[in-house]
Amino acid sequence: MEENRDKGPEIVGFACSYCTFKASEMAGSLRMKYPEGIRVIQVPCSSRVDPAFVIKAILEGADGVFVAGCHPGDCHFIKGNFFTRRKIAALKEMFKAFSMDGRLKLFWVSAAEARRFVDKVTTMYKELKEERDAGKKN
Amino acid sequence: MRAGIFICHCGHNIKHTVDVRRVSEYFRKIPGVIVSTDYAFVCSEPGQDIIVESIKRYNLDRVVIASCTPSLHGDLFKDLLKKSGVNPFLLRRVSIREHCSWVGDDVELNTEKAKRLILAGLYSASHYIPLEEKMVEVEKSALVIGGGVSGLSAALFLARMGIKVYLVEKEAELGGHVRFLGNIWPSGRKGRDIVGEMIEELKGLTNVEIFTEAEVTGFEGFFGNYGVTIRQSDRERKVIAGGVVVASGFVPFDPAIKPELNYGKDQRIVTTFDLERGIEPPDLPDRPRVAILHCVGSRDEAIGKSYCSRVCCVNALKVAETIKGRYPDSYVESFYMDVRAHPRGGEEYFEAVQERGVLFTRGNVGEIVPSESGVILRGEDTLFGEVYEREFDLVILSIGMASSPGNRTLAQLLKITLDKDGFFLEAHIKLRPYDTAVKGIFIAGSCSGPKDTEESINHGRASALKLFGMLNLGYAFVDPFISWVDPKRCSGCRQCEEACIAKAIKFDEAKRVVKVEEAACMGCGLCNATCPSSAITLKGYMDSFIGDEISGLLEVV
Ligand SMILES: Cc1cc2nc3c(=O)[nH]c(=O)nc-3n(C[C@H](O)[C@H](O)[C@H](O)COP(=O)(O)OP(=O)(O)OC[C@H]3O[C@@H](n4cnc5c(N)ncnc54)[C@H](O)[C@@H]3O)c2cc1C
Ligand code: SF4
Ligand code: SF4
Repeated sequence: MEENRDKGPEIVGFACSYCTFKASEMAGSLRMKYPEGIRVIQVPCSSRVDPAFVIKAILEGADGVFVAGCHPGDCHFIKGNFFTRRKIAALKEMFKAFSMDGRLKLFWVSAAEARRFVDKVTTMYKELKEERDAGKKN
Repeated sequence: MRAGIFICHCGHNIKHTVDVRRVSEYFRKIPGVIVSTDYAFVCSEPGQDIIVESIKRYNLDRVVIASCTPSLHGDLFKDLLKKSGVNPFLLRRVSIREHCSWVGDDVELNTEKAKRLILAGLYSASHYIPLEEKMVEVEKSALVIGGGVSGLSAALFLARMGIKVYLVEKEAELGGHVRFLGNIWPSGRKGRDIVGEMIEELKGLTNVEIFTEAEVTGFEGFFGNYGVTIRQSDRERKVIAGGVVVASGFVPFDPAIKPELNYGKDQRIVTTFDLERGIEPPDLPDRPRVAILHCVGSRDEAIGKSYCSRVCCVNALKVAETIKGRYPDSYVESFYMDVRAHPRGGEEYFEAVQERGVLFTRGNVGEIVPSESGVILRGEDTLFGEVYEREFDLVILSIGMASSPGNRTLAQLLKITLDKDGFFLEAHIKLRPYDTAVKGIFIAGSCSGPKDTEESINHGRASALKLFGMLNLGYAFVDPFISWVDPKRCSGCRQCEEACIAKAIKFDEAKRVVKVEEAACMGCGLCNATCPSSAITLKGYMDSFIGDEISGLLEVV
């Protein structure tokens, strides 16, 4: 138990109110489990996420950041998520230059997809943890 | 800032994995926090009293409630603030149940997470500004989509309560699938009679407009004033509906999707729906051999339908009884996985059918092969672990309920969500089973998952009742979460104008700055994230709110 408590990766996620945030609520209602290091911020639409928020989270110590919205075509605000996709892709390119593109992820999760939400965030958590453990060994 | 923090135990729901006492003590040391306390149920009356009294006694100007997820009890807590003379937008809800106590088991880690979540909420709230809710008038009218038994019961309820109802049905006749059913279990009545009475009453009401062979082709606006376009042949009508009940029903599962069943290739293979509809099976001998298959199109991972259709077991029993009644010397064998006769009286009915001599064999049929002398069934008896192969004169497939392919179009039009099986998704599986995530749009009947007639009627009435409550108030508050421009910072680059999907941003040529048309703004915040000068900001989700929320989540506690 103790080593579990050793600080695992910390992930800040931005979740759209109409889809991913709903999925995260449902994941809770269904008592699905995911690591405590994952914490979600509710935004009205994934397009509200300013790339500056992502950078702020990284600067303040987040190991990873995800932005999650509705599947393409299903945006509550018609096509906000296309703007999100474009912005996050550009930001990811920048992250790549510093070999840290694994620290930023974009997912599409509908309100019905509690399982997908948990799978996505858990996978991200595991990848970050592995990367870090590998780093520690070296 | 004079903040009060109220932490809910939610009985054991939060307390069992979050050390709530420790959390509330922690916040007593945080600057700006005047009171921090925990209580068994903050939504209960005594819980509400604690909040109201604390606001008054300590003159609080921020209220942070850490409890269930913010989509529950929203108005209740807002009203507490209003009642205490505090602007309701100075309230912050923090979800420590759905996002903390229920998703993690480790008390230490959860307690730490809860502290951070609340800290983030507190930091964010410190920037909150009072906002005015916009009051809008609500049209006392409703759109009901689908004229099956669930839509009819919703429409009837609303109409009887004096609401103007627009009922849109895509077929020429109202009544949905029930009108084809010859024998509705358990009442034994003809489906046509059941829906017939409802239709007759509805047609007699002056505040109901029925559109048949019609569809909804346009939908816009907000709760209280949805603008709806209804197309009927080549005519279009535009109406205003305060709210909506979606009751678009199901489609019977098409067994042709499973080629091994050979449905549609031989007259001796029929579905329960064919028989209900009155399609006569081929002539049978005096002592016919009849096979009945349960779960056709349900609980079948191979075709991606893992759900139970809820009506097909009873349908299978019903048809077995009918055959036995008509041909007392018949050989009737039912093939099942397990019999789920869950409606009231279902188990007793199952026993009664067994007593009539119907045989039950556990094990799904693998294939159906028509031959000259009969139809051959092959499969494995999972109780005896034996392979069977038997010949019958008639095979009846008890088909399940599939989601209607039209749901996709409706979902996109109304901006509501479908579940993985293509049925409409409720806002909360347990606590808001009638609502969608969109205010004033409800779902009823089998469009939200398989339901029998009684359940569909109940669901229709319940949704109508909830909608009626909202419409009858006559007014509604709209969240004032729209964008606002600081003309001093705006450089007039017009990037936000280009981005805005709702075309809510207009450029003022004289002043060389932009301005937001409040009525058109949808509140997405895209402009806020686009502006290079931080000049345009979405109320309720300002940069400082989110920025400090990030800091709170990452602070060492
Ligand atoms: C073989 C069979 C036997 C059954 N036997 C029984 C029984 O014995 N007892 C029992 O309690 N239940 C029984 N049921 C279940 C019963 O049929 C359903 O519970 C009931 O039909 C559900 O009503 P509904 O209004 O939700 O959907 P439906 O009956 O499917 O009605 C939906 C209506 O909406 C219309 N519609 C669809 N899309 C649109 C759109 N986009 N725009 C406008 N209109 C639209 C459709 O044309 C239809 O009229 C049986 C079902 C089957 C398949
Ligand atoms: S993007 Fe910002 S600076 Fe440019 S016009 Fe819009 S509000 Fe003004
Ligand atoms: S919040 Fe969205 S809809 Fe409103 S002005 Fe900004 S971009 Fe347009």
